[in-house]
Amino acid sequence: MVETVALLSAALVAVFYKERDGYYFLISAGITLLLGVSGILAGLKASPLIGRREGSLIVTFIWVVFTIFGLLPFWISGSIPSFTDAFFETISGFTTTGASILNNIEELSHSILYWRSLTHWIGGLGIIVISLALLPVFGVSGTQLFVAESAGPTKDKIHPKINETAKRLFLIYIILTASESILLRFGGMGWFDAICHSFGTVATGGFSTKQASVGYWDSPYIQYVIAIFMLMSGVNFSLYYFGFKNKFRKLFENEELKYYLITLLSFSIIVAVSLINFSEAFSFAKIELAWREAFFNVTACMTTTGFATADYMFWKTFTWVLLLIAMIIGASAGSTSGAIKMVRIVIVVKYCYYEIKKLVHPNAIIPVKYNGLIVKADVITRILAFVLLYLFTVAIGILILSMSGMGFQESIGGLITCLGGVGPGLGQVGPAGNFSAVPEFSKWFLSFIMLIGRLELFTVLVLFTPAFWRK
Amino acid sequence: MFEGVFLLSAIFVALIYKESVISHFLITSGIAIFLGLIFFIAGRNASPTIGKREGSVIVTSIWIWFSVIGLLPYWLSGSIPNITDAFFETMSGFTTTGASILNNIESLPNSILYWRSLTQWIGGLGIIVISIALLPIFGFSTVQLFSAEATGPTKDKIHPKMSETAKRLLAIYVVLTVAQVLLLVIAGMGWFDAVNHSYTTMATGGFSTKQASVGYWSSPAIQYIITFFMFFAGVNFTLFYFMIKGRFNRIKENEEFKFFIVFTLICTALIGISIYDFSLPASFSHIEKIFRDSLFTVVSMISTTGYVTVDYMQYKPVVWLLLLIVMLTGASAGSTAGGMKMIRVLLVVKYAYYEFKRIIHPNAFFPVRYNQHVVRDEVITRVLAFIMLYIMIIVVGAIVLSFSGMGFLESVSGMITCISDVGPGLGSIGPAFSFSEIPTFSKWFLSFVMLIGRLEVFTVLIIFTPIFWKR
Repeated sequence: MVETVALLSAALVAVFYKERDGYYFLISAGITLLLGVSGILAGLKASPLIGRREGSLIVTFIWVVFTIFGLLPFWISGSIPSFTDAFFETISGFTTTGASILNNIEELSHSILYWRSLTHWIGGLGIIVISLALLPVFGVSGTQLFVAESAGPTKDKIHPKINETAKRLFLIYIILTASESILLRFGGMGWFDAICHSFGTVATGGFSTKQASVGYWDSPYIQYVIAIFMLMSGVNFSLYYFGFKNKFRKLFENEELKYYLITLLSFSIIVAVSLINFSEAFSFAKIELAWREAFFNVTACMTTTGFATADYMFWKTFTWVLLLIAMIIGASAGSTSGAIKMVRIVIVVKYCYYEIKKLVHPNAIIPVKYNGLIVKADVITRILAFVLLYLFTVAIGILILSMSGMGFQESIGGLITCLGGVGPGLGQVGPAGNFSAVPEFSKWFLSFIMLIGRLELFTVLVLFTPAFWRK
Repeated sequence: MFEGVFLLSAIFVALIYKESVISHFLITSGIAIFLGLIFFIAGRNASPTIGKREGSVIVTSIWIWFSVIGLLPYWLSGSIPNITDAFFETMSGFTTTGASILNNIESLPNSILYWRSLTQWIGGLGIIVISIALLPIFGFSTVQLFSAEATGPTKDKIHPKMSETAKRLLAIYVVLTVAQVLLLVIAGMGWFDAVNHSYTTMATGGFSTKQASVGYWSSPAIQYIITFFMFFAGVNFTLFYFMIKGRFNRIKENEEFKFFIVFTLICTALIGISIYDFSLPASFSHIEKIFRDSLFTVVSMISTTGYVTVDYMQYKPVVWLLLLIVMLTGASAGSTAGGMKMIRVLLVVKYAYYEFKRIIHPNAFFPVRYNQHVVRDEVITRVLAFIMLYIMIIVVGAIVLSFSGMGFLESVSGMITCISDVGPGLGSIGPAFSFSEIPTFSKWFLSFVMLIGRLEVFTVLIIFTPIFWKR
């Protein structure tokens, strides 16, 4: 299994010989192939039984191994000479984070930039397949939040067989990517940039081929196209399948989608209003610009993509707080976005209200409902535990970062953005900056944070508990 | 009931005839007695049954009434001419917060300063009586966290009768206050300052008679005495009762107490290491000062008192973050401290670990234990909901404050310090400054936040839910 997937990656690598760097990719592909083959040979006799613990180990291992091999093109070619930086950039790719240590993106060769965006696309694909198709089999609770599993009877599952499900998701993923590329090309972007940005959008990653990110293109058309595709990438992919099958009612009934859209729009409106300078003359163009900037950047943060069209450090302070909150909330479960995910937030908020109701009427039984079905108590507590663990990780992570020497804003923004898989943070690691000046230790630490954020915390952290290792 | 409580306050007011502002106090007591009598007469025929909802309304209005009447001495005498400021300072008194709008404390007459400290002492007294004796009758779950109610059989309750319990707690409170006064006087503080500081220490309030807070006295003895008493004030008062009765094993078994000590020491060590200047030659006096400063600051913030001996804004950001965390956790339940309370933090940490174990062994049953008893599920979910709500309020509050014009540091820290009833924040509301410069709206908002925090969130917020008003 590991081999197939490593070979896939190597083959893709070998595909794009755009410049002289093709040489480095061949080397990387060769190494990967070699190790992949040895991996298979070594594992031929292993028992096919995979339990929860093995599942955790495998998934974590896959991400780390991919990163190690994936950094080779950057490192060997000298594009990113520091090993730490190369690892950081690659794991930022596969976890679809998009935080970058590059100071001069445009001077890198096309093939390197392509590989960079491809790591995002692969990472996004990987997370969709793993979370919608594989992990439920392992029974890892962190991702069993889709309406299907969390509410009992599996009525929302796309298709009973894993392979079938995976194939359909892959299809939806490709269709979105292709349509975005075509639309962007129409908008005036070159094919290369269009494809790379589509990779980064659908994976909700955020790597751009320009140092100024999407802000490089002033065109409203391009910005709106990307914004809308970001929004679409933040939707539960199973809903697209229902759309195809004409089961539109499922779409309307989906509470997460409703809250996702409402929250996104309200945050955008609030930020847009704050950007309008009411003392200046009223003009449609100014309002459109404010709305566009607000909508794009709020969507980028909430879907955890991380593209930027404006340096929000110049906006009013409370907008940073709003953006940080959007980065913590995230978009829908079942999409490529990271962070806590809307469905969990919705259930937690409903639960708090339920507790208040119970204070007034202690003897009544008022169940928490989601999508019309009652949510079981153990599901609620599991969700509460996840949210708490997430917040706890944020707090401790910020402390560790500031201890390592990062500033107040950088520690807070850096941690939240990496844990949520977003990309830009605050201050020096904000949209106009990057992570190059961050201390070595912090780069490794943040790489780790990106990993645990992508794999929904429990999957990786369980490896660190003593209970995991007892037989 | 109302009348008794008003008269109490009025009598206290009448006691402090120190200077020419006597007339203002007499006027205030007059008003208080008058209004008290009116209410008594008006309430004669009211039914004596008090349910949860009434309990909420009563407790909340008591605090507000006290603040409205309590601000009169400041306002009438012209010490605090602005009514917003006067209300803020008074509410900060009764909620034992200690956030101040005063820029020149030492210029105020002694009787005003005495009243200021007294508001905190009364507030502390009130919270002990109300949370240990009254609210459990109303059935407020949030305070039923003492090992007694949280885990079933009421073995930790001091004494079965409510008024007996209240009397004993009052006795402990008074004894500790008097002890601190004596020790401070022996250490060199004048009688007036000693009494004022003991009032605000035991209430974990933090108002000082000096603009420099306790930093005014550089005597190690005075600082250590106050540190110890702040710590005592942060301990569950029932433990003092057990100590008197010689039941020491009860104290040793108390997990919250142990956790409180350990957590405080760890934070002190972390901060001590952060502020230690390794480039200077090691000397005992240097080490002792660092230890004293970090211990004092940590104990002050964790007990939510809010005294300062150093301007921690001069330290690295990691120290600010650690202090914010410590302000959030608060000290023990059953003390006058604010914050989330150690017991909740402890239960949640245990619960998170429990969830990890469950992921590995989904079919095994691992109960969360506290003080040897099993904690019921509903208690855990209630604690989780509280913490979630607390954090949500902080987030929303920070947005509201930054919207009103406060900076990032000030919004976040202002919210945290007021909801946990600590006192000093970060930046321009840090230990070297005051709350005088913040917008008027923010002062009213923060007064409300102080109230919510003191009354453990649910008590006040429940009044705002539609369900509360339905019959």
